[in-house]
Amino acid sequence: MIRTYRALLVAQIQAASQYRVQSILWMLFSVIRPVIFLAAWVAVANSQGGQIGAYDVRDFAAYYICLSLVSNLTMSWNAYDFEFEVRMGRLSPKLLRPLHPIHYSVVENLVWKLTTIIPLAIVLVFVAITFDARFRTTPMHLLLFVPSVLLAAALAFLSGWVLATLAFWTTRVHAVSTFWDRAAFIFAGQIAPLALLPGPLQTIALALPFGYILGVPAEILRGGVTIPTALQLMAGQVVWVVIFYFAFQRVWRVGVRQYSAVGA
Amino acid sequence: MVRYVRLLQLFFRTELQYELEYRLNLVLEIIQTVVVTGTSVAAILVLFSYTTILNGWDLSAMLVLLGCFYLVQGFGELVLQPSFEKFMEHVRLGTLDFALLKPASAQFLVTVRNFQVVQLAQMGLGAIVVAVGLSRIPSIGLAEAIGFPIALLCGFGLIYALLLALSTFAFWFVRVDNLMALYWSFMDAGRFPVDVYPGWLRVTLSSAVPIGVAVTVPAQVIAGRLDPLGLGLLMLGTIAAFVLASWFWRLGLRSYTGASA
Repeated sequence: MIRTYRALLVAQIQAASQYRVQSILWMLFSVIRPVIFLAAWVAVANSQGGQIGAYDVRDFAAYYICLSLVSNLTMSWNAYDFEFEVRMGRLSPKLLRPLHPIHYSVVENLVWKLTTIIPLAIVLVFVAITFDARFRTTPMHLLLFVPSVLLAAALAFLSGWVLATLAFWTTRVHAVSTFWDRAAFIFAGQIAPLALLPGPLQTIALALPFGYILGVPAEILRGGVTIPTALQLMAGQVVWVVIFYFAFQRVWRVGVRQYSAVGA
Repeated sequence: MVRYVRLLQLFFRTELQYELEYRLNLVLEIIQTVVVTGTSVAAILVLFSYTTILNGWDLSAMLVLLGCFYLVQGFGELVLQPSFEKFMEHVRLGTLDFALLKPASAQFLVTVRNFQVVQLAQMGLGAIVVAVGLSRIPSIGLAEAIGFPIALLCGFGLIYALLLALSTFAFWFVRVDNLMALYWSFMDAGRFPVDVYPGWLRVTLSSAVPIGVAVTVPAQVIAGRLDPLGLGLLMLGTIAAFVLASWFWRLGLRSYTGASA
């Protein structure tokens, strides 16, 4: 398995090096939205004397910087690729190979993150200076962040795959993923840190998986939650990973039987 | 001129017929648009649950701005994005010849040829959001009422000029999808007034990628924050951008070689 992965990794790095500009542009997508909402919150905070709840301007900056880092590290776009492959019948050759198609996605995803992390870091340092970000991170937070972001990445990846496998039944995954993205827009901590979502929205956000992909690891990295709270939130992450893992297993098994290539 | 209007109608009608073949898809797309707009309004409401004023913009003005954002974005996706994508494909495949040989302005034939009719829903929703914002403003003067549509049209014109200039690079580099992707990623920034952004981003959004201007200025007119001089400058700027981009397009066209040439 390790040798297979190494071979896939080399092939993907070679493929990715052909599309350098493209990957940097995609990286911009994970920065621009956080910067937009950061700017908006800074304006709101300034109108209220610099402080909203537990956040001042520099906390917002740190939060949104962590958020774009997390969103880059957890990004998963399989739903789009997979629907295309199913619709075009391109999945067939992949199904015939001895390796589960998910492994190709894993490697593709890893390589993309490896190639974009450095330019992203440069941009984020720039943003940190512009907004004078203040991090409250302790070494313990950093230690917890590693498993937390891994859980988040696993969650994003698995939930993306569950959505993608819906392509076996309907070729309109695009609509489904729009609804998913918009729910994430509200509940994942993009429009506001989870702690600032007003009343019921916050409760809903903590019950849904979206926040555990972005907002939770971002807050842990920023040092915005206490260690016990962080552990609780990570327990939530584990629960959602387990749920999506089993959902994926089930959906894939049933779905693949359903699949017939176009023209078959 | 009349001929061009009739051509435009014809293009629109064929694209509408095409889209109406896939009715379920159309309905789904419209629902998606509603969800996207609704969640954006929700995001604004979350922000305004903590303040009554954002950098001098109150909730009504922000709603007008968000509506303008969807109007401008909808306009871009209604006609510009599909047409320019087709245009770049024509350059790549060498099939631009067909447009060049027709007895009408090639620029016209290429840049407003294709429509994503469903994006009218996006523009409609944008208009509704604008209307909701306007209904919360006690009184709107005559100057604002005249200035607003003018500023909005200028916004459309600016976006057109920008995309025309960007896609013209296709004549030399063939694959310029990336440039267009860059535009779309900056587009998102239009949802807030351009003055909330830090210096470097504000400059980018108001000069290099004039999305900020295209969306913010019409909303500014309504909020009574733009004097006639500013509006005049905007009109001049738009005309200049349009002329310049068209000139650049014709320059690029000279480098075009057909498929087998």
